[in-house]
This record gives sequence, C-alpha cells and structure tokens, in this order.
Amino acid sequence: MTASPHSWRIRAVQFGAVAIVAAPWEFAPRAGLADPTLLPPFSEVLKQLIVLLSEGSVVKDLAITASEVALAFAIVAPLGVGCGLLLAENDYIGRVFKPFFYFLASVPKSVFLPAFILLFGIGFGQKVAFGVFQAIFVLVISTVAAVASVEPELVKLARAYGASRARIYAEIYWPSMLPFIVEGMRLGVIFSITGVVFAEMAVARAGMGARIATWGQTFQMPDLYAGVLLVSLLSITVNEALRAYERKVGKWRG
Amino acid sequence: MARLTAGKLDAADDERGAAGVGQAGPAPVDVAVEHISHIYGAGAVKALDDVNFTVERGRFVGLVGPSGCGKSSLLLMLAGLMQPSEGRIVVEGTELSRPDPERVGVVFQEASLLPWKTARENVEFPLKVRGIGKAERRTRADAFLDLVGLSEFKDRLPNQLSGGMRHRVSIARGFCQDPHILLMDEPFAALDEQTRMTMGNELLNIWEKRRKTVIFVTHSLTEAVYLCDEVVVMSHRPGRILERIEIDLPRPRTYEMMATEKFGRLRDHIWRLIRKD
Ligand SMILES: Nc1ncnc2c1ncn2[C@@H]1O[C@H](COP(=O)(O)OP(=O)(O)OP(=O)(O)O)[C@@H](O)[C@H]1O
Ligand SMILES: [Mg+2]
Repeated sequence: MTASPHSWRIRAVQFGAVAIVAAPWEFAPRAGLADPTLLPPFSEVLKQLIVLLSEGSVVKDLAITASEVALAFAIVAPLGVGCGLLLAENDYIGRVFKPFFYFLASVPKSVFLPAFILLFGIGFGQKVAFGVFQAIFVLVISTVAAVASVEPELVKLARAYGASRARIYAEIYWPSMLPFIVEGMRLGVIFSITGVVFAEMAVARAGMGARIATWGQTFQMPDLYAGVLLVSLLSITVNEALRAYERKVGKWRG
Repeated sequence: MARLTAGKLDAADDERGAAGVGQAGPAPVDVAVEHISHIYGAGAVKALDDVNFTVERGRFVGLVGPSGCGKSSLLLMLAGLMQPSEGRIVVEGTELSRPDPERVGVVFQEASLLPWKTARENVEFPLKVRGIGKAERRTRADAFLDLVGLSEFKDRLPNQLSGGMRHRVSIARGFCQDPHILLMDEPFAALDEQTRMTMGNELLNIWEKRRKTVIFVTHSLTEAVYLCDEVVVMSHRPGRILERIEIDLPRPRTYEMMATEKFGRLRDHIWRLIRKD
C-alpha cells in the first residue's frame, strides 16, 4: 500500500476517532463524571501497561499463553489443511463428511468448554486442545474453498502444454490456493488465540486469560484494562502481519 | 507494432520439410478427423455428428459454423484434451490420445492466462513445461510479445491488462510454442477491428515463413475468407460438415482483395450455407 495524501487523511480521521474515545476516558473519571475505581483514567491504564510489562510474572503468563497458542496452531494448521484437502480431493470422503464440518462450524464452540475441562483437565494440554478445536473448522472450510478456487480451465491449459501431474500441482494448484490457505491460517491463529484465552479465563492457574479473569474478579481495574489492551494489541499485530502477507501472495486476485 | 527480426522466425529448422511447397505431388495429410461423433454427458447433448475431413500439411484451414455447433469441442479433441465418443483423430500419421504440445499447439477461446504470472511468464509457460532453458524462453517470449505490440506490458499481471491485451498475450503464447500444427479458437474475437486486421496479417506472415498447419475457428466470414486456403462450414448442433470451400484467392492476401467480386462471392456462399441450415 502506498501512502497517498488520501490515505493520510483517512489515518488522521482514524486517529481522531481514537482520541474521541480516549479523551472522555481520560477526563470523565478525573472530573468525577465516572467512578475512577471502575473506570480509571486512560493514562493510568497506559502507565499500568508499562508496569505489567516490566513485571516478570506477567511476562511469564504471556509466554505461557503464547506457547499454548503456538502449539495449538502447530497442530491445527497441518491437521486442518490436511482434512480440508482430503475432503476436497476425495469425492467420497467429501460427500460423506463435509456436511458435518459445516454443521459443527455453526455451533458456538464455548458450549463445549465444560466437556473439555472434564476430558482434558485444566492444564496446558486442555488449553491447547480447546485452541485446536476452535480453529479447526475455519481452516478446513477455507482449505476446501481454496481447492474449489482452482480454475479447471487452467488445469486444462497446463495439460495441453504437456504438464505432468506434479507440475500441475506446483504451477496451478499451489499458486491458486495459496492466498486462501494463508487467509485460513490467519483466521486459524485468531481462533486459536480466542480458544486458548477463553479456556484460561474459565479455569486455569496460569496464562493471560487467567490473569485478566482474576483482575476482573478482584476489581484491579487498571490492571484489567491494561491486560485487555495488551492482548488486543498482540492479536492485532499477528493478524495484520498475516494480512500483509495475504495481500502479497494474492496480488493477482481481483 | 514491431516486426520480428529476420533470423528469429526464418531459421527453417522445420525437420518436416517446407510443407510440400515447390515439391511435386500433393502435400501429406497432417491431420485426419475420422468420423468423429461426440455426445456430452449421459446421452444428453450430441455435439458432433460424423465429422470427417483431412488437412494437408501447411494448409490454413478455417472452421465456421453457428454458435454451439461443436467447433471448440472439435478443437479440444484435436489438442488431445478430450476423447471423442466415436471416431478418431490422426495427427502426422499417428492416432492422438493425449496432448502432444510439440506437434499440436492451442490458442483457446478464452485468454486463459495464469493470473499470478506476468504477461511474459505466461508466454514462457509452455516452453518452461517443455524444459526449455530460461534464456531461450525469454528471448522467444519477448520476440512474440513485441509482435503483438505488448513489449511495454511484459511485466504486468493479467489483472492489470485490458481484455484485448490479455487475448494478445494468449496469441503470443500460441505462436511462441512453435508447434507443427496450430489450433486457434476465435483468437481475434475480443480485439478491435484494426488490431484484428494487424494480428491477422502477422499470423499470415508467420504462417508464410514457417508454413505451419493452422486450423482457425472464427465467426467472422470476412476473416475466414481473408486468411484461409479452405473453409470448413459446419451445421447447427449436432455439428456436421455442410461443405468444404476452397478459397482460391492469390497470396499474399491484401486488404484490397476484400473489395473484389470473387471475395464477395466466396463470403456470400458461406453465408447462404449457414443461413439456410
Ligand atoms: N462440458 C460440456 N458438457 C456438456 N455439454 C457441453 C460441454 N461443452 C460443450 N457442450 C455443448 O456442446 C455443444 C458444442 O459446444 P462447443 O463449445 O464446442 O460449441 P462452439 O461451436 O465452440 O460454440 P461457440 O461458437 O459459441 O464457441 C454446445 O451445445 C454445448 O452446450
Ligand atoms: Mg467455441
């Protein structure tokens, strides 16, 4: 994306919008219009965010959550793409199992959390399992869509040029599918984060989700808001990095 | 629009000999379409009905007929991409059962560019599949992109080109393959009249130098008469051959010929055949 004057104006307006939220947040509690114990001023929250980041124990919780997400994603990425390919490429398996994936995808995953606690306990493994469960459906569905996006015309063309099966996979299937797969991966990471943090908030001894839940229950409001801000910023960063990559590999689309 | 430098196309490395030009006796049969019938689906659509004709080496043969009469289907079979329900296709003496790009090249009805490849990479693609080295690929692709007037657009992706430009890339890709037999499915249909004329003349230029066998589908009767040695006229679906018309206009063809009485008579004749059907 090039920074045209136009896009600068959009940036300025967006900055303004943030200021419109931040300014009352800052001044309402100071002016006594809001209860500062429930809504501490914005600057207090930012200050607390710095404090949290310098606290070893919070960084450790963050590391635990991050490694749960990383492991969940390392499991779900090949699993989801593999299942998706199988459903898309094998006609029989696809016809039998595809509906189940679409049905389950529409059910809110959170209702399964109690079952996951009973099955997997409340430790690291259960967080990873729930992260995998949250993310798998979106990955499978976007992989199926990726395969469906491959133009039969182009496969025919490559065959007319005498391309081997391997070459057709490498030169037609792979580049066609890549933007969809990357999009699936991006949604997969976000859903893994959602699953892990949600599971931590319910029951856990460690992790950012557990921290945030505790801060909420004990009315440590600056910490709570700072925690929310921290998790938000990290998720946005991951999402935007993958979105930039998605745009790069999908430049030819549209 | 640049012309190819002499050496690039003139190099007569055609091991098949110069198409019987100046030789005694008739040229050998390059393509034989033997009693082809084709039914799509489970008996649902009969596309072709006992189509039977031969094309001699080095001939420029047109294929005309109403929309849906099976021209593209026939071309797919000639390219070895589809097996006919009945009959067979013999190319250079051997039956064709799968694509053989060194012998038969295709320019499809749709531009069918790989959208993630630049214009140049698209033109190079069939050569790459054939294992031709990067340097040679590039030289050949550049020469033909130049020929179709796209040298300044080599590095563009298809989504940054106009519809007509995409078709020209596809035409360059067809020429670039340098097959013995070139199949072209309405290659100029998406072009404006002037570019269409220029492209037609370039095609004739290349053809006169290399004496490829060309099978050319078109909806434009003027284009058919202008370019071809012979026009095969097909009926409504299921496509049958109504008549094969010899176009005995002298070569090289010129723009002025279009205004001659003979040209008009030939075009009229084809028109009546199609209309009556
Ligand atoms: N894959 C297919 N499945 C079923 N029917 C098909 C298929 N492809 C073509 N047909 C049918 O076969 C007939 C011939 O189609 P074809 O594309 O060969 O016609 P065409 O002569 O090239 O037409 P046009 O001039 O419009 O390009 C049509 O009636 C079409 O509906
Ligand atoms: Mg057609």
